Amino acid sequence: MKAAAFEHACPASVADAIALLAGEADARVLAGGQSLGPMLNLRLSHPRLLVQVNRLQELTGVAADADAVTIGACVTHAAIADGLTPDIGGGVLARVADGIAYRAIRNRGTIGGNLCHADPAADWATALTALDATMLLQGPDGARSLRACDFIQGAFRTALLPGEIMLAVRVPQLPADARWAYEKACRKPGDFAHAMAFVLLCGGRRRAVIGALGARPLLLEDDDVSLAGATHSLRALSGLDEVQRRMQLVVLSRALAKAQA
Amino acid sequence: MSRITLMVNGESVTAEVAPRTHLADFLREARLLTGTHLGCEHGVCGACTLLIDRAPARSCIAFAVACDGADVCTIEGLADDPVIVRLRAAFTAEHALQCGYCTPGMLVTARDIVQRLPDADEGRIRVELAGNLCRCTGYAGIVRAIQRVLADGAPAAQPASAPLPVLPALPTLPPTSAIETPRGPEIVQTLRLALPLADVWRAIRDPYLVAECIPGARVIEVVDDRLRGEVRASLGPIETLFSGEGRISFDDAAQRAEIVGDGRDGRTGTRLSARGVVRLKALDAATTGATVTIDYTLRGPLAQFARGAVVQEFAAAIASDFAARLEARLTGKSLPEQRHLPAGALVLRAVWRRLRALLGFG
Repeated sequence: MKAAAFEHACPASVADAIALLAGEADARVLAGGQSLGPMLNLRLSHPRLLVQVNRLQELTGVAADADAVTIGACVTHAAIADGLTPDIGGGVLARVADGIAYRAIRNRGTIGGNLCHADPAADWATALTALDATMLLQGPDGARSLRACDFIQGAFRTALLPGEIMLAVRVPQLPADARWAYEKACRKPGDFAHAMAFVLLCGGRRRAVIGALGARPLLLEDDDVSLAGATHSLRALSGLDEVQRRMQLVVLSRALAKAQA
Repeated sequence: MSRITLMVNGESVTAEVAPRTHLADFLREARLLTGTHLGCEHGVCGACTLLIDRAPARSCIAFAVACDGADVCTIEGLADDPVIVRLRAAFTAEHALQCGYCTPGMLVTARDIVQRLPDADEGRIRVELAGNLCRCTGYAGIVRAIQRVLADGAPAAQPASAPLPVLPALPTLPPTSAIETPRGPEIVQTLRLALPLADVWRAIRDPYLVAECIPGARVIEVVDDRLRGEVRASLGPIETLFSGEGRISFDDAAQRAEIVGDGRDGRTGTRLSARGVVRLKALDAATTGATVTIDYTLRGPLAQFARGAVVQEFAAAIASDFAARLEARLTGKSLPEQRHLPAGALVLRAVWRRLRALLGFG
């Protein structure tokens, strides 16, 4: 199908983009367009205005300091997979990026677009919740930052306010003793995941995040990071059937085994 | 219309395009470059893969207007590319095509594999090809053709990608807390209403009243046990308007209501068939519990995104809205502010429908 008619704007700065978004209630931000494009073509989405931001220099850079790596919202998955962004340790960001969809999608899709679209099966929502990243947002009323676990509010739902856009993601450097594993189950490589788990062990702390639940990622910490803990938490989610719960547990057990190996 | 200027196969092209025109349609219809094939038109099949700024990309989900200033190269522009020349010969030798529909996209992806992953083994080649569908060959010949080119020696290394710019200094802000901070996903299918059972049951039996309590729902007419209506719903970028009809039945003795129906979203052609059952139970003299069970089948575009749990979460959000509105309506308070599922977002029409069915017992 072809998208319904829309207007398109390509502002020259983040400030202009925010002004455009503030002036049109039925506007969407267009970054790489790899999720929004299909939804527009299928006419599941039909905004009046698309505000394209993926060429803004302010959103396509990277920075690193002793505590964290900051990645501009419109840096592509391919750039992260290819190591053009600094590593936080263990090549974790490149590993996650390289597993997103297909290369042709990774070449256009952006980390910020992926997070703001908030598809529950998307990789960054789960991985960055586990890595305790913060999202830096800018809106008509100024800037603020939110932890990933607060930013993602549910399936296709985020804490973004009208007129707000994501500037960057700040991912803390991993301690030297950190061990991690990321596993997912897809019917074929690159397809939407049916189950995913990210396990992070460091400094005596344990964290596991289960994604692809159709809702916000499930965060388990310390003593809850076990198959028994996950079984208990997944049972409380009535949206899952027994097969889905089982898949999640199998994927989590693989991630736990890898992280502890 | 918007004016764009871009490079197409090495030639600068300026054109007026409608913003909704995707790059593949622009190339095929305005430039007559029909080597770019269109299959699914939503980024899944890979037939339309070409190069944007030297990297493979889907031209069906890139809008031409968003490629203003870009360097686009189609299969026609690669005719004399040394890697494509070798791949073409290998595709012929290995029977890597039959109908040829996927071939332009396959060649662009194969060229990327050869250039980017000179050490790729069969497994890696298959993973890299996962985004290009071929319904003729079973991929065996395509994989062999790529292996043959790799075995003949890697091409000259590609120039390394330019480093990313350094971000300007960004404000360092301590993270604030979002408005709601539940830890895990909560899906609620049971409602508690601060109303006596008899009042709730009376309300449930009034479809117009029920619809009034569902944001976006509207009853068009009720004739005997048939109900016609529509539900508008949005979730993230999705917006839907389902209209359809259903059959309602009530079991007064068991306080059980059921609606079976189906509806269609005219814009996307998504169809939803659903059955919703509501059972009421007095929890005490002033409180009623309502258990809602919904099953549904979704066919069409929305089915790709409305995976089971997404629908569940959406339904739970609407159900809790419904409970608040019904309570307000029956106790004479003004209706609570419409708590929107993220405005302007994805409307799960299906879900909607489902919800509707839910309430719908009404």
